Amino acid sequence: MKLDLLIPLLIVAVAIPAAALTAEAVSNTPSDGLANIESFSSISDQEVRSAAYFTELGKVLTSPRCLNCHPAGDRPRQGDMARLHQPPVERGADGFGLPALRCPICHQAANFGTVPGNPIWHLAPREMSWEGKTLREICAQIKDPARNGNRSLETLVEHIGDDHLVGWAWAPGPGRQSAPGTQKQAGALVDAWVRTGAACPKP
Amino acid sequence: MTSLTVTINGRVHGPRDVRDDLTMNDFLREYLGMTGTKFGCGAAQCLSCAIIIDNPDGTSYTSPTCIVPAASFNGKSVRTVESHAKDGELTPLQKAFIVHFAFQCGYCTAGFLNESQVLLERLARTPIARADLEKTIAEALDGHLCRCTGYVKYHEAVREVILADPTRYLRSS
Repeated sequence: MKLDLLIPLLIVAVAIPAAALTAEAVSNTPSDGLANIESFSSISDQEVRSAAYFTELGKVLTSPRCLNCHPAGDRPRQGDMARLHQPPVERGADGFGLPALRCPICHQAANFGTVPGNPIWHLAPREMSWEGKTLREICAQIKDPARNGNRSLETLVEHIGDDHLVGWAWAPGPGRQSAPGTQKQAGALVDAWVRTGAACPKP
Repeated sequence: MTSLTVTINGRVHGPRDVRDDLTMNDFLREYLGMTGTKFGCGAAQCLSCAIIIDNPDGTSYTSPTCIVPAASFNGKSVRTVESHAKDGELTPLQKAFIVHFAFQCGYCTAGFLNESQVLLERLARTPIARADLEKTIAEALDGHLCRCTGYVKYHEAVREVILADPTRYLRSS
């Protein structure tokens, strides 16, 4: 190989990993992770920092693990592709399915094979639908007691940080991608967001 | 392993140690040889594997067996397709399925039969108005898949059984 061809190739070989490292530093966290609270300390404006906490939390809220059971319609979705649930189950009056096919009939107290499980497996109420909404819209909705299960902001911290059903998102069993980060990290983000005024991301 | 004791068609089975990952479908078919309960999609989408679970209060419901652990049936009382005919005599529901040519390959029949039986028992406890009958049957059988497309015939068969005994299943008004 001629020297004048070899040198550009070497430059490219070195430059590609360097570019990847730069991108990694900008995003700060891998796509399947969550940034720690400390990493936001450089944002001096509290409102901006608060919105940044929520934006990071949005990685969890908009993951298939959460969106699939916060659907826009009456049918849940399933899988990482968020396809409509099969068999064709529906929300029902209480969110636990229609009388002929209740959620807990198939969804046991724990994951079984590829079937997800939790003792209270059910759909989020219709007013808590997130599917198809922007993060800003979800932020406004999650602060509204009429659309968040009548929760105060403080209770939201517990709900996302400690709730067992929410925690399933980080232990979804085989064949499903876990929600980003950990439930503890998500809870810490909600806590930090609330403590800084619960600001929503700008449009 | 979990110790399993389950009443199937009135007969107690167990206690017996079963693997925690054993499905009820495998328990019925492979351990007990009760192959009337079918294994279809393996994902609770066709419900050919559905059996009846009897609650202590006299109510009942169906459950798929292909994705449900056998251990979760511990202490329960269930009925399979083998429970319907008595001494070789078919039930009115089974006879209606035949008269209406409801099934062709028959793979879905056990599930449809169990679901229809649960419906009949529910209506016997809580009769409905005639005007609600079609919707009620459709909702009850919803979710059961028939690759031979016998849906209408199953529906008609169930309707015939109900209309043959209106004082039992339908409100007078």
